[in-house]
Amino acid sequence: MRVESRLSGPSPGAWPWGWWLLIPIGLVFAYPFLWMFLSIFKDNQEIFQPMSLMPTRWDLEPLRRLLAGEWFPFWRVLGLSLCMALGQSLGAVMLTSMAGFAFAKLRFRARALLMLACLCTVVLPRQMLVVPLLDWVNFIGLHGSVWGVMFPGMASGLGILFFTQAFRQVPDAYLEVACIEGATEWRAYWLLLPMLGSCLLSYGLIHFILAWNEHLIPLVVLKGDAQQTLPLALASLYGSSLRFPYAALMAGSFVAMIPPMCLFLLSYRRFRNALSQIILS
Amino acid sequence: MKQLRYRSLIGLLGPFFLCFVLFWLVPLIGGVRLSFYANTLVGEGSFVGFDHYRALLDDARYFKAIRNTSIYALGSLLCILPLSLVLAHALQSLASRWRSVIQFVLLVPGLTPPAVLALLFLLVFHGRAGLLNQWFVMPLGGQPINWLKDPDVILAALVLQCIWRWLGFITFFVHSGMQAIPSMYYEALQIESRHAWHRFWWVTLPGLRHVLLFCLIYLIVDAFALFSGAYVLLGGSGGTADAGLMLVSYLYQSALTFGRFGSAAAMGIAIAPCLLGILGLMAWFGRKYSQQTGGSKA
Repeated sequence: MRVESRLSGPSPGAWPWGWWLLIPIGLVFAYPFLWMFLSIFKDNQEIFQPMSLMPTRWDLEPLRRLLAGEWFPFWRVLGLSLCMALGQSLGAVMLTSMAGFAFAKLRFRARALLMLACLCTVVLPRQMLVVPLLDWVNFIGLHGSVWGVMFPGMASGLGILFFTQAFRQVPDAYLEVACIEGATEWRAYWLLLPMLGSCLLSYGLIHFILAWNEHLIPLVVLKGDAQQTLPLALASLYGSSLRFPYAALMAGSFVAMIPPMCLFLLSYRRFRNALSQIILS
Repeated sequence: MKQLRYRSLIGLLGPFFLCFVLFWLVPLIGGVRLSFYANTLVGEGSFVGFDHYRALLDDARYFKAIRNTSIYALGSLLCILPLSLVLAHALQSLASRWRSVIQFVLLVPGLTPPAVLALLFLLVFHGRAGLLNQWFVMPLGGQPINWLKDPDVILAALVLQCIWRWLGFITFFVHSGMQAIPSMYYEALQIESRHAWHRFWWVTLPGLRHVLLFCLIYLIVDAFALFSGAYVLLGGSGGTADAGLMLVSYLYQSALTFGRFGSAAAMGIAIAPCLLGILGLMAWFGRKYSQQTGGSKA
């Protein structure tokens, strides 16, 4: 029975009921993305007919013009987006894993108070503080600098919660051994860090996606057209003129989806495992 | 445990809290300060005390924005959480290989930048020829709806977009949570009852309470931080008759279109205690409930 099921999936008689629900929903979810990919080759008239899926011709002209930077400096925008998302995600993983370790493993005064402060950043997102944040960023001279986008993103309360849970999984005995050997807490953190590989990767991934998708903070902090992230550039292209080829917009959107998708696909299994570990606790 | 070395404690906590103070706490305090000063584009305005807050009380658009955001949050919660429970059970019934494929398909909208998602929503779903009309409204005998111009349905369109975006992720969390429930609970219940509904009500749902609470808070916060979707969809305004005016869109509009920084800061600061209070209460209730059930189990 077991062997058979491994070879052929569920036996033909037992058509799982879930399919009846998941196939239509999956179709509705996936259709726009398939359509988007195929729309790279279409002209405007075809694009405004969302029911027709297949393009009549395979024209790569709009894609070429997009990559050549006809509407915005494509490669620079892509590079800036990637650098900013990667930098922010690395920074957030570093900062929050250190603080998470302290919250999970060390006892100190004001721990509860500091934890509460971290929770506040989760509950009161920086998007709501955007006006004073912009004011402050201007004041300290980070306006128009990528650091002005990256630093606010690194103060992530979600990361603190994640890593506090993650470090609680690690048995105290390891820490005690490290301390008996004479390691400081700082050193112990670095010794324990490799045990959390999956968690580091997972949170890095989550934060990368959040940073890559962020719209408001780059919009107000960065300097208009000269510095744009990919989502910003795409949003400003939309509706710019009627003769603008929407195929290029679709191509740009497709490119904007590639990095989060690839990273997610690469770390899907680890992400799952880390997540169920965190939930288990 | 031996004496904690404060130097390493500062080393561990310092960088994060430096960032936290500089880019969260200072803007928060700065926002409170800003909200007491007159609206000026450059330089210092004069001190106006609580004038901005008093003006907010008469500002119908502000209340409209809060109302819209709350409806959006509630609507998406009420659709996404039950649907994700159903979908997680549906996923559970599949073979594991297909399960991860379907799960990934559901996750794709959540991985996509919301600006792109809004563009796709504009092109594929809305409009007379859009999928929503062609697949759902017209086969059921309805008139084609203009999703983004009709003030009665703009919020519904935003909620639909939210469902499209987050349903996969929430289902993913719920499903992971379901797999983490120890099977011995189910076996214990098998002795009492073989009813599938009892299994769901007495084991699955209590087992998922942490996950559901997290999803609940996450969705509410996300609703209050919603910007990109509404911005791209409605062109930075509130749409027809402000039917789609969201809180952050309104903040953005007041500050960066009209240059009323002081009022905009007051708007953000005025809603903050409400949001903190609601979510704090929620977390507190969740904790109390889980302590009670935990106590009765032990």
